[in-house]
Amino acid sequence: MASSIKQRRNTLTALFFLAPNIIGVLTFVVFPVLFSILLAFTNWDLRKHNMFKDESLEFVGFENFVRLLTEADFMRYLGNTLFLMMGIPVSIGGALFAALLLSKDSHGGNRRVFAWLATSAVLVASCAMLAAVGMAGTGMVILLTGVAAGIMITGVFGGMTVYRTLFYTPHFVAGVATFLLWKKLYNPQTGPINAALQPVLDVLATSVNAVPPPTVYALTWGCLGLMLALAAWCMNWLRAQWRDGEIGTQAAIVPCVFVLLPTVIGLLWGQTQGLAWVLLIGLAAFGGWQMIQITTRGRDFTCPRGEGFGSSLMICLAVMVLQFIALGFAAVFLNLPGMAADGLDAPEWISNYDWAKPSLMIMGLWAAIGSNNMLLYLAALTNIPPELYEAADIDGASRRQRFWHVTWPQLAPTTFFISVMATIGGLQGGFEMARTMTQGGPAGATTTLSYFIYIEGFETGRLSFAAAVAWALFILVFGLTLFNWKFGNKYVND
Amino acid sequence: MKYFFLIVFLLLILASVGLRLSAPDVQSEVPVTYWVTDPNPARIEQINRFHRWLIKNGHVKEVTVTTPTEARQLRARVPETLADDVIAMQPEASAVLGPDPDTSKLPMTIRLPICEMRTDAANRDTGKQVIQGVSGVAGDVMDVWTGAGQVQYFEAIGLIENLTEHATAMGFDLSQTFPALETELSANGEQYAFPCNVATQMLWVNRATFARFGLPAPPQQWTFSEFESFGKRFVDAANPEGQRRLFFFCNHVDTNDMIRSLGLSFYNETMTRCDLDDPRYAEVLELKYKWTYVDRLLPTKADQNSFDTASGYGGVSAQLFNRGNYAMLKSGRWMLIQLRKFGELDLALAEQPHGGFRNMRIGSRAAVVYKGGAHRDKARLFLAYLASADYNHLIVDDADALPPNPAYVDSEAYLKPPKYPNEWDVHNVFSRTAQTIAIGGSFSPYVLDSIARRHITQAEDAFMNDKLTAEEAGEQATARVNAEIERTLKENPALRDQYEQDVARQKKIDALRAQGKPVPLDWIDNPFHRVYYQAQGWAE
Repeated sequence: MASSIKQRRNTLTALFFLAPNIIGVLTFVVFPVLFSILLAFTNWDLRKHNMFKDESLEFVGFENFVRLLTEADFMRYLGNTLFLMMGIPVSIGGALFAALLLSKDSHGGNRRVFAWLATSAVLVASCAMLAAVGMAGTGMVILLTGVAAGIMITGVFGGMTVYRTLFYTPHFVAGVATFLLWKKLYNPQTGPINAALQPVLDVLATSVNAVPPPTVYALTWGCLGLMLALAAWCMNWLRAQWRDGEIGTQAAIVPCVFVLLPTVIGLLWGQTQGLAWVLLIGLAAFGGWQMIQITTRGRDFTCPRGEGFGSSLMICLAVMVLQFIALGFAAVFLNLPGMAADGLDAPEWISNYDWAKPSLMIMGLWAAIGSNNMLLYLAALTNIPPELYEAADIDGASRRQRFWHVTWPQLAPTTFFISVMATIGGLQGGFEMARTMTQGGPAGATTTLSYFIYIEGFETGRLSFAAAVAWALFILVFGLTLFNWKFGNKYVND
Repeated sequence: MKYFFLIVFLLLILASVGLRLSAPDVQSEVPVTYWVTDPNPARIEQINRFHRWLIKNGHVKEVTVTTPTEARQLRARVPETLADDVIAMQPEASAVLGPDPDTSKLPMTIRLPICEMRTDAANRDTGKQVIQGVSGVAGDVMDVWTGAGQVQYFEAIGLIENLTEHATAMGFDLSQTFPALETELSANGEQYAFPCNVATQMLWVNRATFARFGLPAPPQQWTFSEFESFGKRFVDAANPEGQRRLFFFCNHVDTNDMIRSLGLSFYNETMTRCDLDDPRYAEVLELKYKWTYVDRLLPTKADQNSFDTASGYGGVSAQLFNRGNYAMLKSGRWMLIQLRKFGELDLALAEQPHGGFRNMRIGSRAAVVYKGGAHRDKARLFLAYLASADYNHLIVDDADALPPNPAYVDSEAYLKPPKYPNEWDVHNVFSRTAQTIAIGGSFSPYVLDSIARRHITQAEDAFMNDKLTAEEAGEQATARVNAEIERTLKENPALRDQYEQDVARQKKIDALRAQGKPVPLDWIDNPFHRVYYQAQGWAE
């Protein structure tokens, strides 16, 4: 009895001390979230409803949601958000790469140390000479790039903590400060990026002008061929998996849409419209070949229709991204002789409509590589049991095999967690960048959904519409997270 | 552990109480009012003069001090800066409020201003003002830039007080300022603001820059083609062949002024429709594009960014003008605050180039009174102060744009400041243009200016980035702004009747214009069209 009273008293004491926090969360988190749901279904407009205006609030059902789905701006800004999110796989890869570098046992022999020192000396001397002749910006970029390349090639020699801190710097420097820094880096005339890029582009322009245009156009066809090869490989892989009963029929067919998407875009895009028919014919040929194979050889094992959907989707998405990159290069090579005739100019980055989004994406990559993701990977790498590597060594595994068959599967839960969080962060992000660097411009090119919510809520006063956009964003985040959970989690556990 | 938590909890409560007790409102002898404005150092003197103006005009709180203890307590409750103002108006008060108190002069009655004004430079952002305003905690007086349609937005939300009656009673009604500002300071025919200063933006000319390249100074008035040919001569002379362009003819030209000079406005006469799907708008966009990317008379955004980096953080236009990178600088009279730092520049002014109809946009940094403020009566006094001779003279002396009241621009002190003879050619031009060719902004009651401006800017940006043709940009801007008008009407059905009436009136105007007949002036709401119709002889 006495202990029960004491327990109750302890509970009450705990609740008493927790009360400020609980009340804070209820007041400033739970209530606003619930209230914003209601808000999204009303016509709340600051111009009509606030402490000075008492027009009655009306329930408008799904009107705000219908409006946002039919409004061009929402779709456009969603497109901007998704575009910026295309950097997520690269940023995750970068974080993993950084973690691998920073956990690498690289205390090599004397020859490596000597090579590293000699290279460093040459690098520093070259950069000092560049600075002396008034090309300090170029020198700095070359120095930084050289150091990064040196670390990547030979690993880190001592000072691991320093390097780890340096890599993590972007995460603990205030966002606005880094955005202003990047704004200066991106400066088209005086920024160090263009200072380093312009000489390279000058050499490229001279080289392109020196060779006959058909030689450059051949690279266009090479890129289109690469696209085709990727699509063919992907279809072949899907059929092989389907035949072996690793994936179901649905999982083999539905994700193919993503493999076809770059070809469709290539047909619609003015730059490659005239060439993409080759892709279409090639794809039709490969598709027909696969159909013949399926019809004549059938499958060896069966499985449920949706089995392996996540794996096949991931592969198809990865192939799609690579195809898009190849398509972009095809367009570049197609236009290169014409562009190089008058010399190639370095981009105007955030001032230019076409470059503004990639500029923000590159900056995002820089920030994401040295972020919490890198720390998570570092922690996960240290948790991999050394016995697994010893077993792999005994089996004669190469370094590549050690990575694919030991490290990568062991990191799967971490990768899954990072992917989920990065997807959520990507959909919600972009506000600070847009507000600080571009004000959403030029021509709305860098306006993301989070910035759109701010504009609608506080620059135009349409709070209910802003709430509807916020909830649409939540639904997207929730849907993608569920999808990740359903397919990715299964993949991790497998 | 729980005792530790308890102690922390109690300490937090004590800290909260301490914080509250140290709040200016609690500590000060008189109520503290806040003016949300920019961090311009000139605001300090403007506030000091306000305190003195309050005392001079009898807006005081009289405190009788009889004992040394009371004197000490009062001294603790009157901030030093306020005490200086009190002593300036009542020198004997230094016996109580001064650095060397003299209790032998007690008892004494001290006349304190009825409020202490402080600046709040951290909340100038519109978003912050709106959020704080609808939460009941905005500043008592807020600065707004009239050209951005903030007065209309704040009025629509209900944040600001209708000043019409108070302004008439207290002497800061619209008759006390430039007539062209009427649409900028009012909404729905009621006054909501009074200017802190008035701005017409002209092109500053540094004659020395032109002389440096062997060119004469440009004329004060010029057409588009004259501007272009003059500009080409300048940039060709100033920029060596084959090198990065560092010298530009002008930093900026305004689209709105340019289309107005062709007889076009963002909106039609009754402001029921956006009118930018017009060849004249396309013509102006194409000119701007040509001047920026082909002739290189104006800097691109990338050029501007480069200048920012090369010259340090912010506010570089004046330095670039002084160095000759900008032969001309589009700005108001307030730019003199910066230009005076460079010594005796050989200054002149030019109007923005026109397509036939000379005009200039007038704007203002105006003060509004927050409707939810606890000290609205004191805030209104501040607006009365803005209309006073004390304040206007201060603006004249500081060159902080034009003073709110045009009566003060005819004085010798304004026209020929003795310390700055190099400026004697410019002051008169500013005041004359503000009173002759200046026109206020066109704000449709059916769409917020911030929304319309966003769509128009996006279309212009798309054109400047080669994503749309000039015609398409005009069509896109028009379609989007008109769609917003439709949306506003749907969201506010109460506006529908007025809109229908305005549309019907617009049809009558169009019919009369088609027949070549004059139109009754009071049919026209758009301030630009009112002036334009009169200038063309189309108004009845």
